[in-house]
Amino acid sequence: MAKYILKRALAAIVTLFVLITVVFFLVRLIPGDPFNDPKLTDTVRENLYEYYGFDKPLVVQYGMYMNNLLHGDLGPSTRYMNRTVNDMIFESFPYSADLGIRALVFAVSFGLVLGILAALNRGKKLDVVCVLVAIVGTSIPDFIMGAILQYFFGVKWGLLPVAQYKGIEYTILPAAALGFYTLASVSKLMRSSMLEVVSQDYIKTAKAKGLSQGRITFRHQIRNAIMPVITVLGPTVASVLTGTFVVESIFAIPGMGKYYVDSVNNNDYSMILGMTIFYGAFLILCNLIVDVAYGLVDPRVRIGKK
Amino acid sequence: MKMKKLLALGLAGVMALSLAACGVPGEEDETQAAGTEAAGSEAAGGETTGGETADGEKVFRYSVKTEPTTLDSAKMNSIGDSELQQIMGEGLLTNNAGEISPGLAETWEISEDGLTYTFHLRDAQWPDGQPVTANDFVYAARRLADPETASPGAWIVSGVLKNGAEVIAGTVPVEELGISAPDEKTVVFELDHPQGYFLSYVGLSGAFFPQRQDIVEQYGQEYAGSAEKLMTCGAFTLTSSADRAYIFEKNPTYWDAENIKLDRIEVYVVENGDTALSMYENGELDYVQIPNASVPNYTDASNHGSYVNGNLDWVYINNEAEYVSNQNFRLALAYAINRENYNILVNNGVYQAWGNIVLPMCDGPEAGTTYGDTVQPEGYPIQGDEAKAKEYLNAALTELGISDPSEITIHFNAWDDETTKRVAEVCQEMWQNVLGINVQIDMVTYGQVYTTIYPNKDYQVGYGGWGPDYADPYTYLYLFHSENVNNYSNYKNADYDALIDASNAETDPAARMDLLAQAEAMLIEQGVNIPLQMRDVHYLLDEDVTGVQFYYVGYNMCPVYADCAPTA
Repeated sequence: MAKYILKRALAAIVTLFVLITVVFFLVRLIPGDPFNDPKLTDTVRENLYEYYGFDKPLVVQYGMYMNNLLHGDLGPSTRYMNRTVNDMIFESFPYSADLGIRALVFAVSFGLVLGILAALNRGKKLDVVCVLVAIVGTSIPDFIMGAILQYFFGVKWGLLPVAQYKGIEYTILPAAALGFYTLASVSKLMRSSMLEVVSQDYIKTAKAKGLSQGRITFRHQIRNAIMPVITVLGPTVASVLTGTFVVESIFAIPGMGKYYVDSVNNNDYSMILGMTIFYGAFLILCNLIVDVAYGLVDPRVRIGKK
Repeated sequence: MKMKKLLALGLAGVMALSLAACGVPGEEDETQAAGTEAAGSEAAGGETTGGETADGEKVFRYSVKTEPTTLDSAKMNSIGDSELQQIMGEGLLTNNAGEISPGLAETWEISEDGLTYTFHLRDAQWPDGQPVTANDFVYAARRLADPETASPGAWIVSGVLKNGAEVIAGTVPVEELGISAPDEKTVVFELDHPQGYFLSYVGLSGAFFPQRQDIVEQYGQEYAGSAEKLMTCGAFTLTSSADRAYIFEKNPTYWDAENIKLDRIEVYVVENGDTALSMYENGELDYVQIPNASVPNYTDASNHGSYVNGNLDWVYINNEAEYVSNQNFRLALAYAINRENYNILVNNGVYQAWGNIVLPMCDGPEAGTTYGDTVQPEGYPIQGDEAKAKEYLNAALTELGISDPSEITIHFNAWDDETTKRVAEVCQEMWQNVLGINVQIDMVTYGQVYTTIYPNKDYQVGYGGWGPDYADPYTYLYLFHSENVNNYSNYKNADYDALIDASNAETDPAARMDLLAQAEAMLIEQGVNIPLQMRDVHYLLDEDVTGVQFYYVGYNMCPVYADCAPTA
């Protein structure tokens, strides 16, 4: 197992290096440059290039960037001039992560329960309700969901704050808006996976052995059915935790999502790179964890890799 | 059944977990900040703020759409940045919606040739008790212009202060910039040429605010990276800039503190206009800008108001490009636009259709008058003029040797933004319908527009605009001078340059204003660009709030002198 993890970790580092290199050169291909104010004059723009080192050959800039990166320095933002990318990620990531964790806990727990209940009550009323929730959840985009929740719970009934992120009561609406899609897809996936498992031979064997229905469901059916859900959770965790532009924007949450999208619009090179590296590293880490979790849940994976 | 109970139990557990009392990031920060504040006041000699609670405080809360890019007055380059500076900083003069009054300078003199401005400072101090000295102003201005600082706002001294352009270019040392401090209490500006609007400039722009050398050097590149790495001496002190919110507390050491009514100003960055509106409706804000689409729902509300924010939008014409180098053709384009319909189609009728190149609110020849009310020439007709447009087109076709207008295709430069796309489409339709020419929309990214396309004159016509830097028509008209690097219109006319240069040399305000009016008339006669609209901003403001100022240069909204009912 240790060797397996080590191998995966090494592959992750190489992936990250390639990602950084490719993105470093790709961002420079975006037309225009970061200093796009109508009032800038040539001399002012030249001073800015010099300040950020953009006047040097690209390869030299790459060397400098990699050197700084090894020291953990992601450089200064070109748009937010007096702030470093490190600081901005450090300030905004906790919000995205906090919101993401809440959304995920909400989505995964409710999603699994709904999916399981639907599968166990196949064809009955409860199944119909669960399927309906899944369809609604996957077809309503999060910005509509956010606006609906805001309107009813915030403006109309005055139960919860409309936006911002200053206490527990502020987290409920955005977490629900963000988690609803994941909830729906998890429940859909879990339902179909449960139904697939139920026709497997080992379930018949378990029944034949005379095991109780509860034991069969928990021990054999759910444990096997949950595998595909774990697979999709890796990337979902990474994307939900590192900030979601739309929900953060609707609820005015000071998370990372806005910076990621804005950095591309503003050609903020160091910010694009910093965000990509952070997101990439996080995604790779999540996938690594999924691989390991796979091994834990399914002994076949573990044995196969040995 | 047993299993369902188990599931229900699990479900309840999970619900409790997801709503569990684990704090959100901001809460932790707040307690930390409170802790350091308490420690700080103890260190300062056990000073207490006197039983201050949330009750009875006057707090004004509002939202801004764009996150300010910097808190550094020497690096700011947008209205959003400038608005924060106006709250926490102060210059030699203050600007109360255009009315210039003494700020950190108590008195001032202007030399007879209009080239030297001498300001005498009042006794004012920084929050740490140090006096505000003339050197703080000199240091800030030199830092702004210094190529090492690489301030995006450095252009502001170019052509304004003596040696401004040369210092930015690095050809003259910063010490030779036209600002000096003969003694601790005197700041002297030497100008590049006489500028009647210089007082307005100094009063409006945060770029001329003082800075503390020791504080700037302490933090280096990260100076003003957050509220903690910054010191200002204005009416309010920024106490927190975390989490995309700016919290300002009244500055007790401010020289005019007795005229400051609010205890606290809270500015939130809320990008989504509908969210901000909902927050206002829910009582979470005291002032909000209404998104254009929602304006018609509020125009009759008693808490509704509007102001002109100074931005003029127009179609840039590259005066040397194919077809549009022909004056009659340019005029045909300008007359074919029905600005009233355009405004309805593009902006939901929320902005003001406008056919001139200068904002009419700009200062006029005498104090208290506006340019628009006095000498401003007549612009293009608001509703367009199809007959005239066709006349100009026919003249142009003859000159160009083209028989059928459909042989002409012009390229409209637009970028990936919903409004800009609509602007391009509406112009395209009006020109095709009225003139019968073909218009192709060239989509680019915004990052290219002002970095390569317009500076390199690599376009035919394209969307753009200009916001004023001071309240004088010159801020718009100098844009078309052949020596101006921002002359994206590629307009080169010796007669026009002569008018602008003559206005610089003219010391009689009325005669100068006449020259500027002649210059604007020339631009309109020659169809140099195609003005479209002035931007109106519609807002909602709580009715207990008074004294908020709205203006079109330096800031759009300024709450420094506002007053409101204390929180219950």
